[in-house]
Amino acid sequence: MSTLLDPAFLRRLARLRVVARRRFAGSAGGARRSLRRGASAEFADHRPYFAGDDVRRIDWNAYARLEELVLRLYVAEEELTLYLLLDTSRSLALGTPPKFDVARRIAAALGYLGLTGSERVAVVPFAGALGRGLPPARGARRVGALLRHLDALTPSGETDLARAVEQFLAGAPRPGVVAVISDLLDPGGYERALDRLAAARHEPVLFHVLDAEELAPTPGGDLVLVDAERGTRVEVTLDARAIAAYRARLDAFLAGVRGYAKRRGFAYVLAGGDVPFEEALLAWLRSDG
Amino acid sequence: MTWLSPLSLLWAGLLVPLVALYVLKRRRQAREVGSTLLWALALRDLRAESPFRRLLPQVALALQALALVAGAVALARPVGAGDAPAGALLAVVIDTSASMAASAAPATPGAVTRLAEAVEAVRALARGLPTGGTMTLVEAGPDAAVLTAPTRDRGALERALAAVRVRGAGADLGEAVALAAERVRGAPGGARIVVFTDAAGEGAQVLDGGRVPVEVRRVGVGGAAADNTGIVAVDVRPREGAESPDRAEIFVRLARFASRSAELYVTASVEGGGVVASRKVTISRDGRASIVMAADLPPDAAGRGALVRVSLSRSGRAVDAGAEDALALDDRVVVPGPGARRLPVFLVGPTPEPVERALRADPGVELFATSLAALAREASAEPLDGLVVYTGETPAQAPPGDSLVLAPTGAAVFGAPLGPEVQRPRLVRWEEGDPRLRFVALGEVRVAAARTVRGGLPALIAADVGAVAAVQQRPAGETTILAFDPSRSDWPARASFVVFLRNVVERARSRRAAGGVAPGRCGEPLRIPAAEGATVEVETPGGAALRAVARGGLALVPVGAEAGVYGVRVGERRTFALRNLLDERESDVRPRARFERGSAGGVVRAVAQREATAELWPYLVGGLLLLLVLEALWATRAGAT
Repeated sequence: MSTLLDPAFLRRLARLRVVARRRFAGSAGGARRSLRRGASAEFADHRPYFAGDDVRRIDWNAYARLEELVLRLYVAEEELTLYLLLDTSRSLALGTPPKFDVARRIAAALGYLGLTGSERVAVVPFAGALGRGLPPARGARRVGALLRHLDALTPSGETDLARAVEQFLAGAPRPGVVAVISDLLDPGGYERALDRLAAARHEPVLFHVLDAEELAPTPGGDLVLVDAERGTRVEVTLDARAIAAYRARLDAFLAGVRGYAKRRGFAYVLAGGDVPFEEALLAWLRSDG
Repeated sequence: MTWLSPLSLLWAGLLVPLVALYVLKRRRQAREVGSTLLWALALRDLRAESPFRRLLPQVALALQALALVAGAVALARPVGAGDAPAGALLAVVIDTSASMAASAAPATPGAVTRLAEAVEAVRALARGLPTGGTMTLVEAGPDAAVLTAPTRDRGALERALAAVRVRGAGADLGEAVALAAERVRGAPGGARIVVFTDAAGEGAQVLDGGRVPVEVRRVGVGGAAADNTGIVAVDVRPREGAESPDRAEIFVRLARFASRSAELYVTASVEGGGVVASRKVTISRDGRASIVMAADLPPDAAGRGALVRVSLSRSGRAVDAGAEDALALDDRVVVPGPGARRLPVFLVGPTPEPVERALRADPGVELFATSLAALAREASAEPLDGLVVYTGETPAQAPPGDSLVLAPTGAAVFGAPLGPEVQRPRLVRWEEGDPRLRFVALGEVRVAAARTVRGGLPALIAADVGAVAAVQQRPAGETTILAFDPSRSDWPARASFVVFLRNVVERARSRRAAGGVAPGRCGEPLRIPAAEGATVEVETPGGAALRAVARGGLALVPVGAEAGVYGVRVGERRTFALRNLLDERESDVRPRARFERGSAGGVVRAVAQREATAELWPYLVGGLLLLLVLEALWATRAGAT
């Protein structure tokens, strides 16, 4: 029944790690760099001086040339925390294969890569609110626990991304990369929640999981579509005209998500359909590396 | 164009559900999706909550609607376009005999009678008259009568139809068809005659429309609906030598026309009083039953007999409920009781000895010998309340009341001319159905000489030279003319002679007991003697009020076929008239007549007005329509996927 712990899946994770290392060798030295600026010896950038800043970090050479006080910023060599914000709402249960399986595999792959690197990985399931998660942990020994935890999750409830993020941030988590794995089919929208994450100095990464039928519906006569989470019903005759109208709306929706992510500098990966989860993951690594 | 089955047009009502199938939204298959957000945005037009959608022109709907309408029209059986071309003249003959009062259901107040069914069919014909077509209505009752001249005025036709009533016993369809043919002969656009009848007549009936085709449409087609039991004869006579002077015997004869036997109650009651006798009778299928009941029936102070109501019922308690069969008209009969026991009989002239002897032998008769002159004086003072027997000479004018004329010597009797005396006439025919000749046979009677009665009077006894006995009916009485001397024949030596005289006396006694108005058959107009210009008011057994003005000493009041006592008021004088069916042929309401075409070669086509079993095609078309509806249901509900 479980597909996360079977040997075939584990072999696919290991192969993914090899592929990832080979493809991105030299860029991160086997570990991801933090986007946060820190106090290591590696110079990163300057920024204007503000009252209260550590005066030891003022770049006096630059002041001599520019007559302006600027601070020297260094790459922080702190350990990275990867939060897997996994959507477990009822809508994820649909699809062929179920979107939830795709989402879990993405989460498992991300976690595997993080734990086998030098990063701390936490699992934060959510639907209408946060579910029981897996606290941040580090080390390859934790892969088994991670996979078992993901395997035990079941989709249910309504999506409320904004509320889940608020609850997540209420725990004052250490800033890190937040992989939001969801279908983003939230009537409340996704923008406010992601903005809140960014404001809290997290780095959101969007894994948008959709089913092939959602991406390209097939004609099906007279149907009444029932919302899996809210039970609302929409009567529709699935002819070419209706499908074209839906596709137009879907394209606008996807373009909106993609444009939003680009404007905010968030990574965005569309997963699902016929695309294997590895492709989605590598697409993200490619964009990030 | 008319419709033989206009109710079938109701099939066209299926258009409503048919269109509804196209207007109503289809039943949809539910499918769960992650979210309906995008769908709701994309398909705003599907968010409407109305259960209907716009009716779009669709070939399938148009075809189905056309098929539905065509099927409904076919089921309505349109006729007339071929039979009645434009400008055609349609003559409709309606049978108004008593059997047309039979109903398809057991006779109840709300049951539809055959006449009502026929009238409704005629209305349908009138509605379907072609452009320029006209219709004339002819009633086939005891006499044929034209109800309307050829007209296309619906109002006039409707008024004529509203006045159609069951007229009573007998319907001369042949005469009515001949009359109708006469009215439509030479119509420029062709003509035809349609006869509506229940065919409850006897044997073959010749319908001679000449060159005009005749179509007979039978009404009242049904199985058990024709079951009927009726009272076909009633007689009330005093029981001589009984312990009570008012004791009478009520003779009742029943006839049943059905395929199974029945158990009925025959109840005699005095009009305005209570039950005086009752008897339970089991009558076999197609059988006859005669019963005699005894009762005390005292006359009133004026010597008139009590009115005796004899009724049939299923229950001994509900005596007025009727026999609950096809015809209610023959379930009730009202007859006068014996009245004063002794009837005055006035002998005028040299009464033959056998006649006097026979009359004298009747204990209910009181004989008075008188003369023409004395009689004239008596009659001028007050009409004689009895029977007058004239021998030889008769007065010029008939006095009120009943009379018997024997061997008249004048040139005429009360206006009826007489022929010369003929020697040894041979009696060839006599009216066995006439009440005067009941139980009378004249086959061996020899008459020495007789005169013939002329003037068109109905013959009572016919000889080879003509009528030698006849009956003259008048409003105020009737006269039986025996145009030969009985003593110059061998008739007095036979018992039938005494029976004949007794019958004549009994008839006079009945008339006297009936108040002076001659009893008649159902539907027969009331002929009420009254002074010129006097107003006569009549109350029917059902309570309706009628009014007529007397002309020529007689008020003629047409009445419907309603059996019972008609109350009559002429000035201050109150009397009554009786109408009963008492006709075995009319009580048999089963269709049994055969219709034959006349010698002129006209076509007679007999069809049932409502043939429930022969026409299978409406069911087939109905099945096709049902299939059509199912196809539409499938195409619009399930076939969309």
